[in-house]
Amino acid sequence: MVELKVDQDKCLGCGNCVVACPVNGSISPEVASGHGSKTEETIMMVENGLIKLFNPDKCTKCGTCPLFCPTDAIFLE
Amino acid sequence: MVTNTKEVKGKDICVQRVSPEEKRELAYKDDVCVGCGICAKICPTEAIELGEIGAIERTGVDESKISIDETKCVLCGMCSSPCPVDALDLKLDEKSIKDMAEYPKLIKSAEISDDLCIYCKACETACPRDAITIARILPERSKLVTGEIEIDKDTCISCGICEEMCPADAIEMEHHEPTSSDPTVSSDIKVDKEKCVYCLICRKSCPVDAIKAVCRSCSYGDYDLNPEDTETTGSSFIDEEACVNCGWCQEICPVDAAKVEKAFEGELTINQDKCEACGTCVDICPCNVLSFPEEEFGVQGDKLQADERFCIYCGACENACPVEAIDVKRTAVKHTPTKSKSWEKQLSELKTQT
Repeated sequence: MVELKVDQDKCLGCGNCVVACPVNGSISPEVASGHGSKTEETIMMVENGLIKLFNPDKCTKCGTCPLFCPTDAIFLE
Repeated sequence: MVTNTKEVKGKDICVQRVSPEEKRELAYKDDVCVGCGICAKICPTEAIELGEIGAIERTGVDESKISIDETKCVLCGMCSSPCPVDALDLKLDEKSIKDMAEYPKLIKSAEISDDLCIYCKACETACPRDAITIARILPERSKLVTGEIEIDKDTCISCGICEEMCPADAIEMEHHEPTSSDPTVSSDIKVDKEKCVYCLICRKSCPVDAIKAVCRSCSYGDYDLNPEDTETTGSSFIDEEACVNCGWCQEICPVDAAKVEKAFEGELTINQDKCEACGTCVDICPCNVLSFPEEEFGVQGDKLQADERFCIYCGACENACPVEAIDVKRTAVKHTPTKSKSWEKQLSELKTQT
């Protein structure tokens, strides 16, 4: 079973994954244009400088976020 | 009771049942599979599950694209018939049901006519599955341009200008270092007539007019050219296992030498309002149908575009899209006839589901 996972030790808090995630964009369109989410309904967000999964169950495992993460801090396994 | 056994080799799967009466074997090849999920949809016992194709194709998740539950599988072979790329095959006593008239199989093909092919390799370059190999034998250059060339070695001062200028590397000199026993630079000079294209640059650049050369084509035109000597010959090969019958070869061929017949007809619709331009579909599509065209030169666009000439309506893109922005409808499923009502029904249901 493939799951979305994060390694906070590697995370730089850049938010690339948050912006790249197509599901985040469809839940909260302002995220796709680079702004902070207005809702906690998105899959992941940067909180206190680190990535945090809020709703991993919404992930469709499309593989977009790992492509944009510069440090492999978010991955599918 | 005879039960099924499952063998997993790398990412390939084989489910078997051997009874005294017969051996049934379902073989799955992961490198052939495009992850469309048609098998999972048609399976009457829900034994097949489609994996996370986006994660597998894009992030290197080390899993098979489908999984088969051997405790549910009844080895009926219904999954193998509509597989658009023949990644699944059911064998009864070592014989594929795709070679049995009583079982339906998809009507699809791709071929290149060697009679028409001019071996330009456009198809080989365009094929998204690298399934085409064009082996070509080029004409001999020395037969296409002929002439005469002669170097007067008594006049030649061994300056090497002709050797340096020859665009065909046809002139070679043995550069002689002067010694007390032979205090000259006189060198032997050779012209390789297989390489010489009679461009006459050597003659024109020789400072002492030691070279006599004439091009026959310039003097007499092409009258003495044998048309057969100008032809590129060769052969074409389509790897049927890798080919997905997408139609790129047919569309790109400048001489209509490639013919492709597709098993499915249909329609692909993109909902631009839903699309988040993540590119999952572009990476998943086995046929290079989808792209984000440049909006202006050098600037990657974010408006998804589909060219349905190359679509096989497998539905892999729709399944992989994380935001349901793609809809693939099949309007026709072409297959060989079957007397089985249930198979007929299941195959025809592929028209409504993707």
